[in-house]
Amino acid sequence: MLKLFLWLKYVRRRRIILLSVVAVALSVSLLIAVASLFTGFIAAFERSAVQAIGDIVIRAPEGIPFEKYPAFLAQLEHTGMIEAATASLSAEGLIHMRGNVRPVLIWGIDPAGQARVVGLKGSLICQGKRDGEPSFAVPDDPGGIGGFVGIGVLAKPDEQTDQYNQAEVCRDMVNQRATLTTVTMEIGADGRRTPRRSTISFHVADIVFTGVHQFDSSFVYIPIETLQKALYPRKAEAVATTINVLLKPGVSPEAAVERIRTLWEAFATKELNWGPMAIDLTAIRTAREMQKIYVAEFEKQRGILETTFSVISFSVVVLVFCIFHMMVKLKQQDIAIIKSCGAANSSVIGLFLGFGVSVGVAGAGLGTVLGYLITRNINQIEAWIRVLFGLKLWRSSVYMFDRIPNEVDWGSAAWFATLAMLAAAVGALVPALVAARTRPVEVLRHE
Amino acid sequence: VYRLTLIGRYLVKRRITHFAMLAVALCVFTVVVVMTVMTGLVGDIKEKNHAFTGDCVVGTESLVGFPYYEEFMARVEQTGIVQGVSPVIKSYATLTTESGDQQNVEILGLDPVRHSQATNFAQTLDFHGHDVEKAFEPSYDVNLPGCIVGIDKVLQRDNRGRYVHFSSPDQISVVLTCFPLNAKGALVGAGANPTAMKRFFYSDNSHSGLARVDNEYVYVPLEQARLLCMGGADKRITALHIKFRPGVREREGCRRIAELWQQFQTDKAAAPNHNLLNDVSVQDWRTYRRAVVAPVEQEQLMLSLMFVLVGITTVFIVFVVFYMIIHSKRKDIGVLKSVGASNTSVLSLFQGFAFSIGVIGSGMGVLLGWLFLTRVNQVEQWCYEHLGFQLWDRSIYVIGDIPNRVEPSVLAVIVSGAVLACMIGALVPSYLAVRLRPVETLHAGRM
Repeated sequence: MLKLFLWLKYVRRRRIILLSVVAVALSVSLLIAVASLFTGFIAAFERSAVQAIGDIVIRAPEGIPFEKYPAFLAQLEHTGMIEAATASLSAEGLIHMRGNVRPVLIWGIDPAGQARVVGLKGSLICQGKRDGEPSFAVPDDPGGIGGFVGIGVLAKPDEQTDQYNQAEVCRDMVNQRATLTTVTMEIGADGRRTPRRSTISFHVADIVFTGVHQFDSSFVYIPIETLQKALYPRKAEAVATTINVLLKPGVSPEAAVERIRTLWEAFATKELNWGPMAIDLTAIRTAREMQKIYVAEFEKQRGILETTFSVISFSVVVLVFCIFHMMVKLKQQDIAIIKSCGAANSSVIGLFLGFGVSVGVAGAGLGTVLGYLITRNINQIEAWIRVLFGLKLWRSSVYMFDRIPNEVDWGSAAWFATLAMLAAAVGALVPALVAARTRPVEVLRHE
Repeated sequence: VYRLTLIGRYLVKRRITHFAMLAVALCVFTVVVVMTVMTGLVGDIKEKNHAFTGDCVVGTESLVGFPYYEEFMARVEQTGIVQGVSPVIKSYATLTTESGDQQNVEILGLDPVRHSQATNFAQTLDFHGHDVEKAFEPSYDVNLPGCIVGIDKVLQRDNRGRYVHFSSPDQISVVLTCFPLNAKGALVGAGANPTAMKRFFYSDNSHSGLARVDNEYVYVPLEQARLLCMGGADKRITALHIKFRPGVREREGCRRIAELWQQFQTDKAAAPNHNLLNDVSVQDWRTYRRAVVAPVEQEQLMLSLMFVLVGITTVFIVFVVFYMIIHSKRKDIGVLKSVGASNTSVLSLFQGFAFSIGVIGSGMGVLLGWLFLTRVNQVEQWCYEHLGFQLWDRSIYVIGDIPNRVEPSVLAVIVSGAVLACMIGALVPSYLAVRLRPVETLHAGRM
């Protein structure tokens, strides 16, 4: 009770204490915001991979596409682990549209299957709002070849806001004719490789906007059969180069990879007559595993930045020390009176150490709230900076995503708050020890 | 003199001031290290972009290009302010290797001699740095059509980011496929296949130090690029790269070229396809490469702002320390004022004291930072060898050594900022000292 009374008195009389609370809060909020933004970015990076390619990707060896893939898809769906699986073909190429040429990644897909595995429908600007499965049907050309084109292939975002005018792009581009070209190497009877170019004309059936710059600025989707005719004109059976798998909720991707690998080995041996080498060269990996190297690098950068700010935040310890040192010097009479009334040294230490921890708790609490507010409203803050200073800090072309990830990393927040309390306690420790060593007889003698 | 004596005595005898110096040194050390590395990276990126681009670019974003460039080049050269002018054709192509791998690339059609006069092109070459006129002649057969590829396409980097070079280029061929466009932006050739395709042989590689350029660019002779990308009778290019003579200021040079272009446009108002000249702009290298340069400059700015925020803690520490000193030195102040010291003298005493703390603290920080920076690459090498830690994974980032050249201008800003922070922190306590009345501080009852 006495401690509480003294703490309140010190806070009321010595406003300088509030400085240490503010300093702790500033450091904690900055560290929480930095950690949350990094963690959110890494999570968005991993999530975008899963959204774009599913939980697991099975990729054929270079130059040997999967044949009879519908039978393998059926086998996969019988395992009970898989929510959906779909096959696709891909090739690099160029698109010509309205007098302009862009490099693109051409995906041959089954839109309904792709929608089940990677949520393609939600990214389609026109069909996303309608009922039913997405389709390549072209409104003005029934029976013609349709395709979906990434919004960034067709238009540029606004220089100021970095936002696309989706309605305008839809109005101008849907139904427009586009031409794709891609090249394959054909092996002649004499074993010589000859490049063969193919062109595919199609009409834009819909525009894709995922919010991930890389996908929006380079992906074009057309029917898998159309791309197969261009890439493998002599193959009568359906072929694919990639199989994307979405797992049922709760199924571990790592465990599923092993099960799929066993299934694939049996299928490739029995149905496709593949040798061990081709089977080994088939890559079966989780989406997270494919991003591992980049995620590790991002986490390292986060660690470096957090360490840098933590080093500077060490000043908080110095600040708390200075303030408590001053308080102990100024309040020697209080300490002497308490001690002369019989308070033990440990009580005096407890008084100042407890006060230090309280400062830490208050600063950490305030900092956590501030960090939460900054992180959650980071997109609005960025927009205000743009309006006030004309400075566009976040662009999807630089940082991949169209919005700044704004999820608070509560794990890091708890860690930084604890560290702040500890720092405040450390800062108060030496002054508390000094206070405990005060001798009442010396301090009170003059009076 | 008495002021200097008092400052010296406070600095030595008041141990609490050492904490203020420690806090300043800590902040300055961290800021010096981080900002030196960041400034080095940003400066390096700018320098490489400048060298790659030249001083000024007259160009269009449209791949259709613009005609009559030879006439304009003649006018530019007559001005006497340019050292080199290089016409280029920039477009996209699909590159297919002998094994059938595909990759979308940017092709740059250029005259190697002219381009080396306008940019640092010759210095980026591996085998033809001294005979750039033969850059497109493969050493294994000079009659074959040669191409220069970005270094990352042909050479591997080791774990320190260094390339493993060979004595001569391997005999490798690649096929480039493009969409040739006529002056209206339409595909040339209405037949079944409107693409142009040509096989080129690897004659050299170019190391510009710019990640995307070294990974995605393929350089071919200007005439070959015209055949691949441009259709129609008129000769068109997409840009002119210009380097000014030494002594010509960039801004002034760009202004002269812009005026010249305006006049040229007017003169060609009646010429066929003159509308293509309307899309052409004259830009200095910074504006032309702003998509690359601006984001890194912004990151530097954001980091600086965060450090300013953290630096507020230092202001608090200085404030507390001065508050304590003034509180315990009331008698000194009273004596000084009673013997005639003016308010200005007392203010300057404490501001001088704050200045000294700032100078000594930042001096210590700068010294520590400098010592650390001179050894930072050895430290990183040791960490990599013993702990497997690298600041940047060189397989992902195109960064060589960690920049460690301390820029005097950066140092000056940091030290000035630290000293200013100290003086701001001491301002309120100094003002309180000024307001002290000798009669109160020297009153026996208060002593």
